[in-house]
Formats: sequence, C-alpha cells, structure tokens
Amino acid sequence: MNVNNELLKRPVTVSLTSGKGGVGKTSLTVNLAVALSRSGKRVLIVDGDLGLANVDVLLRIHVERSLRDVIENGDDPLDTIVSVGPNLSVLPASSGVPEMLNLGQREQSLLEGLLRKISSHYDFVLVDTAAGIGQSVLWLNHFADHPIVVVTPDPTSMTDAYALIKVMAREHERNSFHVVVNALSSPKEGEEVFTTLKGVAEKFLQVKLLHLGSVPLDSEVAKAVRRQIPFLKTSPDSRAARAILELSASIEKLSPGSHRGAAQPAPALQPKPLAVSERD
Amino acid sequence: MKPQPILESSCPLEFNECPILQEVLALRDECSRLTELSITDPLTGYFNYRYMIQSLDQEMERSRRTGLPTGLIMVDLDHFKDVNDSYGHMIGDKALQWACRIWRENIRRIDIPCRYGGEEFAIILPGTDLPQATLLAERLRKVLADSPLPVDGFGLELTASFGVSAFRGQNGATPQRVLDCADHMLIRAKAQGRNRVCSDLQPKRKSPTEVTSDERAALFNTKGNEDFISPCLDGVEDDCQ
Repeated sequence: MNVNNELLKRPVTVSLTSGKGGVGKTSLTVNLAVALSRSGKRVLIVDGDLGLANVDVLLRIHVERSLRDVIENGDDPLDTIVSVGPNLSVLPASSGVPEMLNLGQREQSLLEGLLRKISSHYDFVLVDTAAGIGQSVLWLNHFADHPIVVVTPDPTSMTDAYALIKVMAREHERNSFHVVVNALSSPKEGEEVFTTLKGVAEKFLQVKLLHLGSVPLDSEVAKAVRRQIPFLKTSPDSRAARAILELSASIEKLSPGSHRGAAQPAPALQPKPLAVSERD
Repeated sequence: MKPQPILESSCPLEFNECPILQEVLALRDECSRLTELSITDPLTGYFNYRYMIQSLDQEMERSRRTGLPTGLIMVDLDHFKDVNDSYGHMIGDKALQWACRIWRENIRRIDIPCRYGGEEFAIILPGTDLPQATLLAERLRKVLADSPLPVDGFGLELTASFGVSAFRGQNGATPQRVLDCADHMLIRAKAQGRNRVCSDLQPKRKSPTEVTSDERAALFNTKGNEDFISPCLDGVEDDCQ
C-alpha cells in the first residue's frame, strides 16, 4: 500500500469532548464508531485520553502498544492500531501516564503528522478526548474538523462544557461547535439544555452551537459499560441505541473540515518516528 | 386574674381622673424621650456613636444569618476647620446640619445615618453590597457638592470625602474592622485630593478565558455581578489598618 498517494484523501475527523469527566464521552465514541462502521464506513477511534485511556477497556481489547510508544519510541503507528471489527480500528493510548496529558511542541507536531497520515486510511476518525481543558484536549479539538461537545443536564457539566467552548473560542479561534446532550430524562430537557448553552455562547462568545442530537438516560448503557461491550450490540433496541443511530446518521452528513490544518496536505514526513513510508 | 396591660390609656378601675395612670403615661413618654436622646446626636439628628456600633454589630449579625451584605459609608467634610475658623462655629454647625439634611434626603428609610464624631459620619446600609454602596456614596458626594450652604446671601460650597466598605460574611470581620476599612478608604480619598469616593472595591483580575459570574448567571438564570474583591476587608491589602 502506498500511503503517500492517499495523503490528500481527507477523512472526517470529529473529537468528542466535554470539559467534565463522566458524561459519557467514551461510551458515545465507541457506540458511534460501531454504528458508523456498520453502515460501511471505515472508522478509526483515537483514544485521545492520552494519560488515562479507556477506549480499550470499553471494547475489551488487549493493548500491547499505544500512542505513547509511537511518540516516545518511534514505533510504527500502523502496528499500534488494533482492528476490532471489519471496518473498525482503535489507536489506543496509555493509561497512568500523566505526562502524556501535556504534549510539548515536538510531540504535538509528531502527533499531528501521524494522525494525518493514518487518518487517510479511514472515512471517519473519532477522537475521544480526556476530561478537563489540558493542553492535549485543546490540541485534539483544534486538530479535529468538528469538535462535538458532550454535555449532560448536570449544572457542572454545562459549566465545564461552556468553559471548554470559551477556551477553544478564545485561544484556538473556533467559532462553531456541535453539541450532543447526553443522559437526558426527557427530550424536552435536551432542548432546554441546548437552547441555554447556545444562547449564552452566542451572547458572550459569538460562537455558534449546532444541536447534533441527544441521547436519553438509559440503564442499558451502564449495564453495557460494565460488561465492556458497546450497548449498540447488547441492547440494539434500547432508546439509547436508537439515539446513537440517529446521531451516527448526522455525523455521516458532516464534511471533511475546511478548518485550518485539515485542508492542507499532511506535513512532510519526519525521518523518525514517522516511519510509515519507510516500512512500505 | 389576668394582669391588665399597663399601657392601656384608660384606667383599669375606671376612675375618670386617675393620678396613677397619668403618672405612668408621663413616665412612658419620658422613657421614650430619654431613649431617643441616648441614641441621637442633638445637633444633626443622626444616631450617635454608641448606637452606630450597636447597629453595625446587629446588621453584621443579620448578614451572617441572611447572607445579605451590609454596606458602610464613612464621610468626612472637607476643610471643615477652615469653615469654623473663617465663618465661626455657628456657621460650622449649620454646615453640619445642612450636609446631614441633604444626605438624609438621599438615603433609604432603612439606612442608618450616624455621627461618628466632629465632622465625620457613618452611614450603615442594610442589605447593600459594595458596588451599590459605592454608587450611593458617589450620589451623596455629588448632591452635597451641588448644594452650597446659603450664608448671608451667598453660597458656601461644601464638599466631603467618602470611604466605602461592605461586610459580606468575611471570616473574622468585626464591626471595628469594617469601620477601619471604610476609614482607610476615607483617608485615601482625602489623600487623593478630597471631594471623592474611595471604595474597598477592586475588579477581580481574570484570565481572558475564565467563566465570569455573568456567564454563569446566564447559564443558570441566576443573579450575576460578583466579579469583585474587597482587598481591605478580605485582608489582601497589608496596609489596611
């Protein structure tokens, strides 16, 4: 396979991010990836929680190498990717490595180069970011074509989501975000949460928020997480699973971003550790 | 038998001219007159120092219980010694009465105006936070500066300097400490040239990405505007005392 020929092919890169932890980012990412892959799209999940990875846990996969090995030791990223289904792969991160949360300039450009390069093999790249507004979170959201902010009706979640949007708007000149409201007790609640957040973001930040969809609170989700199987598989008829299919259809309509870097061809290859072309 | 209430103004024994009742009523009036005297400054009609300390203590306790702040304005007439020296003490007293009357017309009925001593006054503002207390002080400053005291057909211009603090439940704050802070601000207003308001109010220095209280308020439909600190009363400012 000649990777270089595919460099200009652009996948749709979305990041799932929330500011606050525990709002269901990873579970949403995994299930959305399953849904997209089932509709024939080639999907890569990037575990962007570089310090406390979870995607591997939710998919019950065994990780031998992670992004950390690629960044620190120059391992081949394509050897790091784990295939979990016909169209579904995961680029796992490391767990318990706090320094991975604060990527330096060098690591950022390495990561950018390798993400661009491996992305070109996929139609959709879903980046599950860490909680908080650490450097790696901001950078991954900056990198993505479409940041998707996951928020629950919990006031702390709304505050943290807003804080994240504010930082991205002020420091990374992002002026539009998709929003998914998760863990809803009623559809009306989802509309209220979104309308409030949208109003405040427009008024104070001149930022546009788009309602990508909502996912109801569903006990099947927690059960599936404990069993380490996506709820789309364990409970395909659950309300949450149906909402995921709708969300997935909305994501399919997103276009490869015209956002800064994504529109440009991938940067020139570095000798090490970006050794993909050498391997070929 | 139930005791009869003593304050009934008719005799319980139904005597037409009951001397005991007359005596009791006179004592009651005398008592309330003395109470009034004991808390009032005779010249200005404002409350006196003793009452001020007592009220401030009481209002601060109310703040602790209700969470509503208590504002405090300290005022000192500018160059008052010159007024006394140039025009005599009678005009000096008139100036004090003039200023006090003007200010009283510009405060609420619940506010507690007190004479601290000499030409210095303190106004306790129940349920009033620092920004509002500062606005009020500015209004009191302006209204006095715009209202010269009529003396023999001409207007004697009077100005005053104002120091403002507010108690917002800060730990360890006492009435004396709140007074000291307002006084400290007053000294600063004097030092900066008089006829001005200095307040223990400083906008919070914020990072440009920090979520402000207005944004929080908009998210949760609550009241905003807490983006200030009180360096003096919060103890951030070392030279407060």
